[in-house]
Amino acid sequence: MHAFAYERPATLAEALALMQAHGSAARLLAGGTDLIIRLRDGSARPSVVIDVKRIPELDPGIRVDAGRLVIGARTVMTDIAADAHVRRHFLALAEAASVVGSVQIRNRATLAGNICNASPAADTAPPLLVYDATVVAAGPDGTRRIPIDAFFVRSGVTTLVPGEIVTAIELPVPDGPLGAAHQRRTRRRGHDLASVTLSVAIGGSGTTRLAYGSVGPRPVLHVDGSGVLADASATAEAKARVFEAAFADASPSPRSMRAGPDYRLAMLRVLGARAVATALDRLAGE
Amino acid sequence: MSADGTGISPTRVGTSPNRVGGIGRVTGAQQYVADVRLPDALEVKLVTLGVAHARILSIDASAALAVPGVQAVFTAADLPRPVPRFGPQFVDRPVIATGETKYHGEPVAAVAAETKDAAEEAARLVRVAYEEIAPVVTIDDALAPGAELVQDPSIRPNDPLAGTNVLREHRFGWGDVDAEAATADVIVEGDYTFPMVTHFAIEPHAYIAAPDGDGIAVWSTIQHPNWLQRILSGVLGMPLSKVRVYAPDPGGGFGGKQHAKYEPLIAFMALRTGRPCRLVLSLEETFQAVRRTTTKVHVRHGLRTDGTIAFVDVRADYNIGAYADIADRVVAKGSYPAAGPYRVPAVRILSRSVLTHTVPATAFRGFGNPQVNWAVESNLDEAARALGIDRLEVRLRNVARTGDTLNPVDTRCDGEWDQSVRKAAEMIGWGRPLPAGHGRGIALGIKSGPTTGLSYSTVRLLSDGSVIVLAGTSDMGQGARTVFAQIASTELGVPLDRIAVVMGDTSIVPYDQQTSASRSTVLMGNAVLSACRDVQARLRAMAAKLHGIDEAAIEVAGGVVRLPDREIGVMDVLKPGLGRMGGEVIGNGMARKDAEPDHPLSGSAAFFEFNCTAIETAVDEETGDVTIVKHVTVSDVGKALNPLQVRMQDEGAAIQGLGHTLMEHYIYDDAGRIRNLGAIDYRIPTSMDLPLHMESAVVENEDGPGPYGAKGMSEGALLCVASAVGAAVRDATGAELHDLPLTPEVVWRALRERDRRRAEEVAR
Repeated sequence: MHAFAYERPATLAEALALMQAHGSAARLLAGGTDLIIRLRDGSARPSVVIDVKRIPELDPGIRVDAGRLVIGARTVMTDIAADAHVRRHFLALAEAASVVGSVQIRNRATLAGNICNASPAADTAPPLLVYDATVVAAGPDGTRRIPIDAFFVRSGVTTLVPGEIVTAIELPVPDGPLGAAHQRRTRRRGHDLASVTLSVAIGGSGTTRLAYGSVGPRPVLHVDGSGVLADASATAEAKARVFEAAFADASPSPRSMRAGPDYRLAMLRVLGARAVATALDRLAGE
Repeated sequence: MSADGTGISPTRVGTSPNRVGGIGRVTGAQQYVADVRLPDALEVKLVTLGVAHARILSIDASAALAVPGVQAVFTAADLPRPVPRFGPQFVDRPVIATGETKYHGEPVAAVAAETKDAAEEAARLVRVAYEEIAPVVTIDDALAPGAELVQDPSIRPNDPLAGTNVLREHRFGWGDVDAEAATADVIVEGDYTFPMVTHFAIEPHAYIAAPDGDGIAVWSTIQHPNWLQRILSGVLGMPLSKVRVYAPDPGGGFGGKQHAKYEPLIAFMALRTGRPCRLVLSLEETFQAVRRTTTKVHVRHGLRTDGTIAFVDVRADYNIGAYADIADRVVAKGSYPAAGPYRVPAVRILSRSVLTHTVPATAFRGFGNPQVNWAVESNLDEAARALGIDRLEVRLRNVARTGDTLNPVDTRCDGEWDQSVRKAAEMIGWGRPLPAGHGRGIALGIKSGPTTGLSYSTVRLLSDGSVIVLAGTSDMGQGARTVFAQIASTELGVPLDRIAVVMGDTSIVPYDQQTSASRSTVLMGNAVLSACRDVQARLRAMAAKLHGIDEAAIEVAGGVVRLPDREIGVMDVLKPGLGRMGGEVIGNGMARKDAEPDHPLSGSAAFFEFNCTAIETAVDEETGDVTIVKHVTVSDVGKALNPLQVRMQDEGAAIQGLGHTLMEHYIYDDAGRIRNLGAIDYRIPTSMDLPLHMESAVVENEDGPGPYGAKGMSEGALLCVASAVGAAVRDATGAELHDLPLTPEVVWRALRERDRRRAEEVAR
């Protein structure tokens, strides 16, 4: 492993100052489940690694505050998947968090890290998109709130500006009944990177929010206001037309070795139908 | 009673005591090669190029040498001229790349430094100027007219195939295939491919070499320490007595650790630097060091209407990579039993070892047989379908019975194989109704056991009645230590905890040819048994002298000495027999199977490994997901000396077989680079990928050549996993499957193809 300096700031202000001082030569370390791999294989060669695990402002924790669920930046997948609030209001996020990596990885990997890594295959991206999450980022000029759909750019790139640190992710607690589900495709049942991810959230009003990943440079959100997907009696043909529109932005790479583009596109439709069916069942049970 | 007077019963064969060394393995106390720390050792890092095939123009080590802690950057220029080559079958692999690289991952230089970080940093800074040459990657590439030659014809003198990429052609067979084909009632043929996979032993491959007086000491994760000793003696020009190989118990080998890889390089580096040198491969580097041969097989079966097989005609091309290693032997021995465990009047087999610019292939559990089994058993199913005969029935009708001729020049059928088939069929519920979307498959596998063998053992009965067994087998997890201790315990009446089994040091332990081909229980087991019997003979002589009676009147067995008038314990003889000065009783044993020069494989099978695997699957038609609902494996083992270990070997082999069946494969790009190096994009089965139910059973008729009637059995349950799973998926869906692994995407495509075919039929 390439040699680097290690810093462990005790406050957010110190961390921001370190980020200012080192610029792109610095990398943040939270769970380390992406960074350590990249340090080992040499694809990341920072001169300083800033460990954020002692910063109280980033402390792990999930709380409800003024109609929003606030997930601290260092909250790990295991805790998100098990949290009663998350399971009650954001089941698709719990489902996604529970399939990230392996048990050991979920005990370390943070939600903030998962989205900052900005892998198109990130499991938690589709549920955050369907739940209309907001990313809270602290920077030298204060705190910004970034809608999750405006956060992802492409693999490894977000709209965070240099020097910013994500402090929390917020999700608005739904004000009415919502049925949601998360689905993914992998090459095996054991822990694996997803070749397709997909979440849906269907509201009582008939609006369906559908998001998918791993089929293009960034995860995609599609909002269907037609009510067709929410209508259990809609024909398969009618639903297929909505899916065609929803998946129009999918552009899976022919160079991927995880799955061929035609398989991925076909699986989007299979997962979409399955997720909608599950979400409708859950909505009916609300 | 116990021989040593402790009152503790000996642990006989046929029971399942705790694994000898098992606690060390599960607590992490066991010292693997990578745990061996020699003072003053240098860490080695290999320098490789990001291409498969290139001419090396120059190597500039100046920047690497400037890294603090770097002691040497070693290249072919640091070796004797011509650069020494080695290999178990062909002397073709250079110690380090010389002039050119032949596969992605072949080292062109090696850095030795005080720390691993310094070695890695310096390895990045070695500047290699090279000219890339288009590689031949696939069998088709290699056989195309005018293809780039992987091996320089000059290293293959007097070889008519030297101007091609075919290293060897093997022809086996008997009877008149063409005449049978003219009268067969149905002929079915097909093409099948088997993916390139790696062994994925959990213990990393590791090598340490240290100057040792006027010789050298080498620690290696090697399965065949004596063979490595011979290779090192050859390339270093040292007598065997000056090359000491330490081979701590490996953490999984599966064939990948049979033969020398980087030991010669590390030995030269240790001699050059005068310091111990140490190389532990990463998983990514291991992918570039060991893999299984991959195949394209064309198979043709002819059957008569009653279901009997009239002929089998097989052409098998094996992609063996850039150097031969032991792969050509894999090709010969893997294709030789291609007709299967059946009575077949006419068989024609043509197999070829094809050189390519890919990782040199080597032995892998099953030794070339699973590749051909996938083709032949799958095709036999199609033939049964064409005849309208049940797939189990066609197998029962043709499977050889004890004493039947298989290959006329080889060992006859040496087991009641139909018992295994019937048992597996019963366990899977063959013929019973299935839920929709489910299917069943059944397949038979056969593998020739060792064709030659030589194992020596020394058993030392010490003055307190405890025992040391010296046996040169490598216990890589199969449990050889336990089985040898059980044999000694049975023969000498000593409890297991008073027996030490010493392995893995060529200066101390007598010669063993190799740990492979599921041979150790049979060959080394017989050597240990005969060494124990030698100890018994010496005890008999000792007792005769003590009691003044004729040796012939005394019997020693199982720790009991039977005098004409009474029984006494071994200690009752040993103690007075050795007397005040102490000492020990030393027994020597040997098991030998000689080569047969006129035999097509230079030796008939010591025994056959026979297995029947039966599978029930459920298939998700929308996604192509295959769920193994039930996996049944039945092996003919002769006698299970340790039933629990036998079961673990069967289950382990079965699960390993699910890897190449469902998910494992190397992905090469057009430039011959491996795209999925490492664990992220090369997937092996996890506990979550296991069958929902798995059952293993054995057939024991005590009809093997090993101790107490045992046969070797560690590979059998892997032989026909793919064939049985493929058959079950075919049964569930009607989709034809020819290419492994059966990933969801591959199955999904086969389902689309089935739909297309059905639509065509409807249209007609």
